[in-house]
Amino acid sequence: MTNVRTRRRVATAAGATALALVLTACGGVKTGSGGGNATGGSDYPTKSVEMTVGASAGGSSDLISRAMSKGMGQSLGVAMPVVNKPGANGALVAKELQKAAPDGYSIAIQNASLFAITPLAVSEAEAVKVDDFDIVYGVSRDDYVLATNPKTGWKSIKDMKASGKTIRYGTTGVGTGAQLNSALTFATAGIDATAVPFDGGAPNLTALLGAQVDVSTMQVGEAIENIQAGKLVPLAVFSAERVPFLPDVPTAKEQGFDVQVSQYRFITVPKGTPQAVKDKLVEAAKKTFATAEYKKFNEDNNLTPLEVSGEEIATQLKSDLQSNTDKLAKFNISLASKS
Amino acid sequence: MDFSPILTGFEIVLQPTNLLYCLVGVVIGMLIGVLPGLGPAATIAILLPITYGIEPVSAIIMLAGIFYGAQYGGTITSVLLRLPGEASSVVTVFDGFAMAKQGRAGAALGIAAIGSFIGGTVAIIGLSVLAPVVAGYALDFGPPEYAALGLLGVLLVSTVGNGGKLKAVIGAAIGLLIATVGRDTFTGAERFTFGNLNLADGIDFVPIAMGLFGLGEILYNLEENRKKVHAPAKVTKVWPSRQDLSESKGAIARGSGIGFGLGVLPGGGAVLSSLVAYAVEKRRAKQPERFGRGAIEGVAAPETANNAAATSSFIPLLTLGIPANATMALMFGALLIQGVQPGPQLVDQHPDIFWGVINSMYIGNILLLIMSIPMVGIFVRILKVRPAILAPITALITMLGVYTVNNSVFDIYLVIVFGVIGYLMKKFGFDPGPMVLAFVLGTLIESSTRQSLLIFGGDPTGFVSRPISGTIFAAILAVLLVPLVRKVFRVRRGDSQPPAATTAAGTDRTTTESTPERETTEAK
Repeated sequence: MTNVRTRRRVATAAGATALALVLTACGGVKTGSGGGNATGGSDYPTKSVEMTVGASAGGSSDLISRAMSKGMGQSLGVAMPVVNKPGANGALVAKELQKAAPDGYSIAIQNASLFAITPLAVSEAEAVKVDDFDIVYGVSRDDYVLATNPKTGWKSIKDMKASGKTIRYGTTGVGTGAQLNSALTFATAGIDATAVPFDGGAPNLTALLGAQVDVSTMQVGEAIENIQAGKLVPLAVFSAERVPFLPDVPTAKEQGFDVQVSQYRFITVPKGTPQAVKDKLVEAAKKTFATAEYKKFNEDNNLTPLEVSGEEIATQLKSDLQSNTDKLAKFNISLASKS
Repeated sequence: MDFSPILTGFEIVLQPTNLLYCLVGVVIGMLIGVLPGLGPAATIAILLPITYGIEPVSAIIMLAGIFYGAQYGGTITSVLLRLPGEASSVVTVFDGFAMAKQGRAGAALGIAAIGSFIGGTVAIIGLSVLAPVVAGYALDFGPPEYAALGLLGVLLVSTVGNGGKLKAVIGAAIGLLIATVGRDTFTGAERFTFGNLNLADGIDFVPIAMGLFGLGEILYNLEENRKKVHAPAKVTKVWPSRQDLSESKGAIARGSGIGFGLGVLPGGGAVLSSLVAYAVEKRRAKQPERFGRGAIEGVAAPETANNAAATSSFIPLLTLGIPANATMALMFGALLIQGVQPGPQLVDQHPDIFWGVINSMYIGNILLLIMSIPMVGIFVRILKVRPAILAPITALITMLGVYTVNNSVFDIYLVIVFGVIGYLMKKFGFDPGPMVLAFVLGTLIESSTRQSLLIFGGDPTGFVSRPISGTIFAAILAVLLVPLVRKVFRVRRGDSQPPAATTAAGTDRTTTESTPERETTEAK
């Protein structure tokens, strides 16, 4: 009697495990399979297109992907579900997309920092390379701003330098644009500074608001609300020209420090995706860009459109990586080992 | 204070559509809270596209309802199945599950619902009246303060659970070790990741908790059942008795205060609040040994505290634009999608949203309390289901829930690994609680300590010279020294027999209360 019972219990446990395995198998199938290849993509799309995001829901990468998937899905006439797979600053999604079938049913909007900055901080094996993907089209640009707590009384990079103290600056982690911009500014200006890395934008902002650090570099969208409320004072923006959302804030270049690293995002598909498929995606993206709803989304989120061809983005990424590498070498800065 | 915006807020909430969204939100929240692993963050992420088309106020009212509704529902699995859905309900498991085994699941769930209601409501009142003031105090908590709080938390960890103290410390040490897995935020160095990108961000709380508690328990029961035929637990009383209520009164009052105060702190506030609330009750109790064996205060205090904390975690979001946790980050995103930027200007620019959301919580909490009454009766019947049926269903739902957090198959494997570890721990008398809690606090301690040292320029005296962290360090010293001092005194008096429980508790209280104050002034 007891024996039978035991066997049944063991069987149930085995059943549960089997179910779990079946479940995982399903997950694998969904992302991998495709059908457009045989026809060269002329009938694309015949089913829903999965858009993965390498960040948690709610952040700017996620919001941009959602805004794009909504418009592109409507234009293509299929559902385009957004799936969040946060991990390793987006490298997890990059590696997954690289291995996915090149049929246009797996796409992702990726960040420039992953291609042009993170490789400077991580091992060769983990670095994500431009040539591993087909870049479909550019999406938008997100600029960085250097801000301080009003308690410091600083209004510009010069004021900060004049204080003569060792600056403690918050960053959003290793291998991010925020870290690179700050490090380059301090090196160019010859300011003695220590980086204090935080795990993402929110803790970095909190620390600056509480004057735990002297300055922080953040994306414009993260800081703008507190800048307008007078809780933060912007010192510089790191772009070629002034940011339309902060017209009174001079660029670092205007202040005599040639530092301009921006975050920008673009649509990517696995290498070898048929041209016909990519053309359809470009068309869908352009239709999305043209909608009033999407334009308002960009404005609300302080994003500058960067609606250019995939080739231009690829060239830009490569030259950014090169210039970042050169600058770090010139000032003898290492993103990884210095803490 | 100008009350007209508050009244307008009520006008907004009491519109039938908004009431409906509030109801929908809390119902969904409660249900997903019951599904282990599937947390509010994943649910809100799934529902986010639906909110595009509705009014911003209604959308946020619904999403907020999901968030605090899940806190109610999460208790149910903690108590009945030993499955804490969130880090902040880990502590509830100890006494809640013990009570369920004794057939007092109804009392545990009932007191949790009452405590949650009171804690939530107190925190909403605090939120309405004190939000701007409290927000400022949250900013005074920098890395040194978090480091100190985390350290205090780890010290308290050894007091929870029902295993021995040494085993708790061993478990906590392993938990701290697991917290180091992942890419180092400071140098980018890979730690124990074995080149696997899935481990680059470290291990998530959910697979660890689901594995150690849930799956571990299921595996252990499979073995137990072979030894003796396990009768489904009897469910005698569905409601807490008058005695239960009077025993929990103090715990609920203190839990509300602790939860509100610590919940405001972004990063770890909710976990710490439930832990501190539990530790305070245990320390105050006349018979601390009851804790871990089904003490009702052990359920009432953390459940009250984590609900109060859930509510007060809206303060940083609504007044500073800082999301305090993953769910708040989603709320932040939801507001952005609606074209509303959360931040210091929110209350002036969108008073309808600010007060609409806050006031909807009063209504939502009442709805939840009303729903809890019949729900408790239904859910305790889960215990009557035969383990042979319940176990595989629980395992399956757990796996599904864990998958939804990061859409990661890897996390499912992690659950299985930690399930085996949890089984072995239980077999050898280790409580997984200290390990999980130390794991949660480990990252906080490590990164805040390193951030602090960078801010101090490497000078560790900064920890004690700052008023708040100095005070917390004084409290840590008190927690460490008081038992030692008492022991010394007892030895000196030649008192071989421990004094009667009441006197011991009495002296205990006076010493712990006076010591920190004295040391605080010194630290300042």
